[in-house]
Amino acid sequence: MALITLMVNGKQTSVDVDPATPLLWVLRDALGLMGTKYSCGEGVCGACTVHVDGEPRRSCVLTALQAVGHQITTIEGLAADGTHPLQQAWLAENVTQCGYCAPGQIMTAAALLAKNPRPTDADIDAAMTGTLCRCGTYQRIRRAIHRVAGQGGA
Amino acid sequence: MESEPQKNGVTRREFFRIAGRAGVGLVVSIYVPEWLGVESTAPNLIPRLETPWQPSIYATLDSTDVLTVKAFRSELGQGTSTALAMVFAEEMDADWSTVRIEHVGANRAYGDQMTVGSRSIERYYDPLRKAGAAARQLLVIAAAQRWSVEPGSCRTEQSAVIHPDGKQMLSYGQLVSDASQLDPAKASSAPLKDPASFKIIGTPRTLYHAPSMVRGEPLYAIDVRVPGMLYAVVARCPVFGGKVVSFDGSKASAVPGVRRIVQIDSGVAVVADNTWAALRGRAALQVTWDEGALASSSSASIREGLIKSAPSVDGADAQTFKAAYDIPYLAHAPMEPMNCTADVRRDRCEVWAPTQAAQAAKQAAQTLTRLPDDAVIVHVPIVGGGFGRRSGTDFVRDAVQVSQQVGAPVQVLWTRDDDLQHDAYHPLSYNYVESKLNDASVPTALPTNRSFTQRGGVPTGSWRSVNNFTDAYARESFLDEVAARSKLDPLALRLKLMPAQGQQVLQLVADKAGWGKPLPEGQGRGIAYWALWGTTHVAEVVQVAVAADGTVRVPRVVCAVDCGQVINPDTLAQQIEGGIIFALTAALKASITIDKGRVQQRSFADHSLINIAEAPAVEVYTIPGTGRPPTGIGEAGVPPLAPALANAVFAATGIRVRHLPIRPEDLRR
Repeated sequence: MALITLMVNGKQTSVDVDPATPLLWVLRDALGLMGTKYSCGEGVCGACTVHVDGEPRRSCVLTALQAVGHQITTIEGLAADGTHPLQQAWLAENVTQCGYCAPGQIMTAAALLAKNPRPTDADIDAAMTGTLCRCGTYQRIRRAIHRVAGQGGA
Repeated sequence: MESEPQKNGVTRREFFRIAGRAGVGLVVSIYVPEWLGVESTAPNLIPRLETPWQPSIYATLDSTDVLTVKAFRSELGQGTSTALAMVFAEEMDADWSTVRIEHVGANRAYGDQMTVGSRSIERYYDPLRKAGAAARQLLVIAAAQRWSVEPGSCRTEQSAVIHPDGKQMLSYGQLVSDASQLDPAKASSAPLKDPASFKIIGTPRTLYHAPSMVRGEPLYAIDVRVPGMLYAVVARCPVFGGKVVSFDGSKASAVPGVRRIVQIDSGVAVVADNTWAALRGRAALQVTWDEGALASSSSASIREGLIKSAPSVDGADAQTFKAAYDIPYLAHAPMEPMNCTADVRRDRCEVWAPTQAAQAAKQAAQTLTRLPDDAVIVHVPIVGGGFGRRSGTDFVRDAVQVSQQVGAPVQVLWTRDDDLQHDAYHPLSYNYVESKLNDASVPTALPTNRSFTQRGGVPTGSWRSVNNFTDAYARESFLDEVAARSKLDPLALRLKLMPAQGQQVLQLVADKAGWGKPLPEGQGRGIAYWALWGTTHVAEVVQVAVAADGTVRVPRVVCAVDCGQVINPDTLAQQIEGGIIFALTAALKASITIDKGRVQQRSFADHSLINIAEAPAVEVYTIPGTGRPPTGIGEAGVPPLAPALANAVFAATGIRVRHLPIRPEDLRR
């Protein structure tokens, strides 16, 4: 165990954890940030996606130690009161069914739009293919991303 | 490590909302997520300033006009809790913005609560209409008494009763204490609305929990944190039916944070201060297994056994056509893996279970703890996908047994490989269909499937649409083969054979899909129809493009549905879209195979789901104004998809594939 200082959602926080602990479990078990979801644990489903210095990263395969010194943003820190344009677009397009993958999808899409405010369908495919949804909400996810792009971006 | 969430705005907000309502000076030290509801968690800890009116077991109304509808069926993403609340609010004439939904957990007052088979709306449409109408009627009587007018001269609108003068009005909340004094029997024959006047039913509504979902709020069982909670994972025998002979926990115990290692019915549990320590401990655990009788079984040998027990497909002639279709074991793989939290004490047991079978979960906990009925509380949070997997209780028993042994609240998590390797699979089946043909080479009756499945050994269970998936795949593939043999249009053949409601959805889907219009080389359309559970009629046209290397792309699926009265049209579309994607994973990508008694797939890397780039555009059309009460939609998109896909592949390539999934190697030219 070691005291590790992380910058999460703009706040500095120290946790006493095994430095090899995946960031996912630090967020969930140590910091109580439940929006970042576990689903595969090996970086293939995208449910645990967070931003590390603005880049989408799978928090289940990133250790706490690797996260030190970087700006971590989770779904809870994406926007105050959940008013990010993508969160609103998710509601406008009625994207969610079970909702479990929504935070990872939204974080992945937010990183895409931050770099590419007007993505094509091919851009969306490239960015979002690794983020799985068992409820099959994909076309609504696509529409929600286009909706934000059409409004002038995120 | 802190077990109280440190940075959870919602939890805090919810906490202070509750504390605020309870009055100054109240100290509540437990973590109360929103989905637990106030009444169901700690009724003695949280006094209320007022008692809301409870017109029936289905809802409460408070003086601020807030209408709390009780969700008593599991919410898995199928939209049931929102839809049932819509039905109640419609008949009560409630303002939809005043509606809150509260999950009640296991409670026999609400029927069996078994959330399977697309049946929640079908069963509870009438009871909730009547309950909503009765609540409305009592509020009207209360207002009429206050005004000294005839109840029949008052009307209601948007959570208010309107005086016959058309000017005075009383909000529902203002009538709570008056209504509480009334005998509910006064409303026993409250009239129901004419469906033509519905304002909520039939209109699109965002799912109630969606705003919380997009904010990442702790809605799910996996998000439950109770004070002093430990975290566990279980090492299970890789072979079905295997048993623990012995285990050596010395290396596992040496992992920092590992607290206990305990044997339970399903294997050996490693219990730790956090999930990561539990996972590391399990990796270091050494277990000697007795692999049991299935150690040499394989899905290939099981299939061969089934073929031997089925009639032969040889010997077809001009009057008889025979064919057989293979379906492999299929996994559910919901995004929220199995998990459960249990807090077993000497005199009580509290469980948070992501279940489709709340009362089975409670029964399982009671059997293990031998506690009386009222000492076992089962909460059912929002569930991150079910698809039938959560009608079992294996994950509940894990948590209860571990908590019993360690004497602390415990969350047992199943990793993704646990989930894929210890599922209750859709059974492997060999499906034989035979039909007599008349002089025009048309079946003399609608053919039926004889499905041969192995029951023992490999655990099997309900999988979205259950045998509808199997039977539709067999029959609708078979009919296409008959059509090809008889040189009949697949749509025309079905229109001859299907009942009127089937013909209607077939004709609608064909019109919308452009059935019969030419497509480029290498592309094709396939059609299929099924009546889910005999009541929801659904037809699909799948369009495919097959590349020279056999890769199948599905650009478009069109679906027509007759499910009677539509409650929430957006939910209907979502469920059909989702059912199509779910079935497409089974039809094109993922299956479960077994070798040496072990499941060979272990992750989303080797059990890959349809992704966004592969997802077709889906169009959904409904038959309007049927006048029938609603029938189920949660599984309706699934059954026609695989046969329509196989039929489209045949139309595109001339190759008939009689097994799932359809692989590129089946179609290489």
